[in-house]
Amino acid sequence: MNIKALPLRHRFWTPNVAVLLFFMASGVVFAYFRFFHGFASVTNLNPAYPFGIWIAFDVACGVALAAGGFTTAAIVEIFGRHKYHALVRPAILTAFIGYFLVGLAVFFDLGKYYNIWHALVYWNGTSVLFEVAWCVMLYLTVLAIENLPNVIEQFRGKVALPGFLSGLNGPTDWLLGKADGFCRRTMAFFVIAGVVLSFGHQSSLGTMMLIAPYKLHELWYTPLSPLLFLTSAVSVGIPMVVFEGTLAAKFFGRKPETELLAGIAKYIPLFLGTYLLLRLGDLAYRGVLATAFDGSLQGNAFLLEFALFAVPYFVLKRRRSRQNPTLLFLCSLSVICAVVLNRFNVFLIGMDMGPEYSYFPSVGEWAITFAFIAFGVLLYKIGVNYLPILEEEH
Amino acid sequence: MDISRRKFLKIGAAAGGSAACAVAAKAEARNARQPEPQWYGMLNDSTRCIGCKACMVACKKENKLEAESTLGEKEALGEQLYDAPRALSEHTYTLIKMHGEGEQEKTFVKAQCMHCVDPACASACIVGALKKEDNGAVKYDAGMCMGCRYCMVACPYSVPQFEWHRAIPSIRKCTLCSETRLEKGKPTACAGVCPAGAITFGRRSELIKIARARIDAAPEIYLDHIYGEQEVGGTGVLYLTKKYVAFAGLGLGDFDYKPVSGLTESIQHRIFQYFIPPIAVYSILGGIMAYNQRRKHNAGIEGGDDEY
Repeated sequence: MNIKALPLRHRFWTPNVAVLLFFMASGVVFAYFRFFHGFASVTNLNPAYPFGIWIAFDVACGVALAAGGFTTAAIVEIFGRHKYHALVRPAILTAFIGYFLVGLAVFFDLGKYYNIWHALVYWNGTSVLFEVAWCVMLYLTVLAIENLPNVIEQFRGKVALPGFLSGLNGPTDWLLGKADGFCRRTMAFFVIAGVVLSFGHQSSLGTMMLIAPYKLHELWYTPLSPLLFLTSAVSVGIPMVVFEGTLAAKFFGRKPETELLAGIAKYIPLFLGTYLLLRLGDLAYRGVLATAFDGSLQGNAFLLEFALFAVPYFVLKRRRSRQNPTLLFLCSLSVICAVVLNRFNVFLIGMDMGPEYSYFPSVGEWAITFAFIAFGVLLYKIGVNYLPILEEEH
Repeated sequence: MDISRRKFLKIGAAAGGSAACAVAAKAEARNARQPEPQWYGMLNDSTRCIGCKACMVACKKENKLEAESTLGEKEALGEQLYDAPRALSEHTYTLIKMHGEGEQEKTFVKAQCMHCVDPACASACIVGALKKEDNGAVKYDAGMCMGCRYCMVACPYSVPQFEWHRAIPSIRKCTLCSETRLEKGKPTACAGVCPAGAITFGRRSELIKIARARIDAAPEIYLDHIYGEQEVGGTGVLYLTKKYVAFAGLGLGDFDYKPVSGLTESIQHRIFQYFIPPIAVYSILGGIMAYNQRRKHNAGIEGGDDEY
C-alpha cells in the first residue's frame, strides 16, 4: 500500500520508438491525401459502407478497449479492492490515451472536421451519436482530471521551466497547489462520474446501429444491444489491464505483476459469464440461433466471436489457469479479440447495405489506423517514463 | 474474504440490475409522427414510366449537377460525353432504373429521396443538419453538417450521398426542389418535364387520393397498395406498381409501418429519462464507495489490516 509510483526514466530513443515513429510517419502521408484530396483518394469507403475501419476500429473498438480505466477504477476505488491499487494509474492513463485517440480518429473521419464543435452548440437529442459525443467529451475531461494527480505529484515544488519562462515557476507551482487541493476534495466525485459516463456511452455505442433495422444482421440487431455493449466493455476492462501490464513488463524489463494480475483476473469470468448469459439468452429468446450455422460470412463471424468470448470464460474459471501468466495473457488476448470482432461485426461485417458494393479497408486506412495505435503506444511510453504511473517493483 | 466477495456480487448485481432495467425495459412506443396536410410530395406511377430519363436530365439541370459516365471518357477526353449514372450519387439525385429479371416484364422506376414523414436521417443527425421542412421536404444544411455520415447508415433507402472526392465534402440528395422551385410556386423539375404523366406533384394528401382513384379505376393494371402511405411511418414520395410486380422487386423494401428510428429513440429516451437512470446509478455507486471507505476507516482505527 505504501509503495510509491515513480517515473521509469528509461532511455527514450530506443529502436522500438523508431518503429513507432515510422508507423506514424506513414499515417501522416495518407492523412495528407485524406485532408486535401478527399476520402476517395485514400479510403475504400462507398455509398453502401459510409462507416469504415476508422469508425469500427479507431472509435468503436477504441472506446471499448479503454474500458480498463473505468472497470479498474470501479473495482479499486468504488468497491474498495485496494490491493489492486497499483493497476489503477496505468489503467487510467491508458484510458485517457485511448479516448484522446478516439477524439483524434473522429477528427480524421469527419468530412467537415472543423465543425466538430457543432456537437456542443447544435443539439439533436434524438441522435444516439449526440449522446455518445457528449459522454466521450465529458469522460475525456474526467480522465484528464483523474490523471492530474500524477502530474502534480511529479512537478509540485520542483517546477523548473527553461530560460525566460523561469519567471513563471512560482505561478505554475501555485496553480499546481490549487489543482492538488481541488483534486483531493473532488476526486471521489470524478471517479464515480467516470464510471457513470462510461456506462452511458459504452451502451449508447450499442444503440447506434439499431437505427438500421433493414441493414444490420439479425444476430446483432437486438434491443438488448446497449446492455451487451456495456457488459462486453466491462468484460474487456481487466483483460486490457492484463494485456498492457504484461507487455509493459516485457518491454520495460520489469518484473511481471503476476500475482496482482492473477488476483484481479478472478473478476473476468464473472463479467464474461454475465455477458455470455445475456447474449445467449437474447439469441434464444429471439430465436435466431439457427442463422449462426447457415455457413454465411456473418454466421461464421458470429461463431468465431462467440468462441473467443466463451473459451477464456471456461479457462479462467479455474484458479490454476489464472495463475499461469502465459495462459492468462492468451485468454485476455482472446477476450480483446472477441470484443474487437464483435464491434467489427456490428459496424461492418453484419451490415448489409445492398449487393452493389463491398468494403475492405484500403492500405491508407490501415496505415492511419496503425499510426493511431503507434501514437498511443508512444504516448504511454512518454507517460510512464516521465510521470509516476508504475509502482516500484517489490 | 468469502463474505465480502458475496457482498461484492450482491451489490454488483444490484447496480447491474438497475442499469439493465433502465436499458432493457420494454421500449415505450413513441407517438408516431403524423403527416401534415400542407406537405408536398410526388406520386411515381411505375405503370406509366417509359424510361425516357427526362426527369434525370431536368434534375441535373435544376441542381447544376455534373454528368457521370461509366465509360471513363473524362480521363481520355477531359469531359463526359454520356450521362450514365449507375446509382444515386453526389452527382445524381434521381435515377431511373429498369427492373425485372430474365423474361419478366420490365418496369422502369424512379429513385430519389423519399422525404419521409418521420425521417431516419433527421433523427440520426448529431447536430440536426437534416430537418423536415414545413413544405414537406427533408432539407439538408451543409453549414451545420459535421460529415459524420450517420444519416447514410440510418436511411433505409440509402439516399443521402457523400462527396467522396472533395477535400471538404458535404452530403447531397434530392431537395424536392424546395428552394429553387417550390417556394416560387412551381412543381419539382422532374415532375414538370415527365412526358408520360408518371410523376405527379402535389400535396401528399391529394396524391394519396389520386393514387387510390387510379387503383380503383383500373384494378386490372394496378397492385392494390400505395407504397409510402404507411411504410417506415409514411413517405412524401409515393409509388404505384403493376398488378404482378412486387414493390420489393423495384428496390422499394418490404418495410414495416413504423419509423426505423423508433427503437433507438425509445432506448435513448429510456436511458436518459429525466436523467433518472444515470443519477440512480451514480447514487448507488456513491453509496457503495462511501460504505467501503467507512469500513476501511473503521478498520484503520481498530488497527486492522488495510487489506481487509
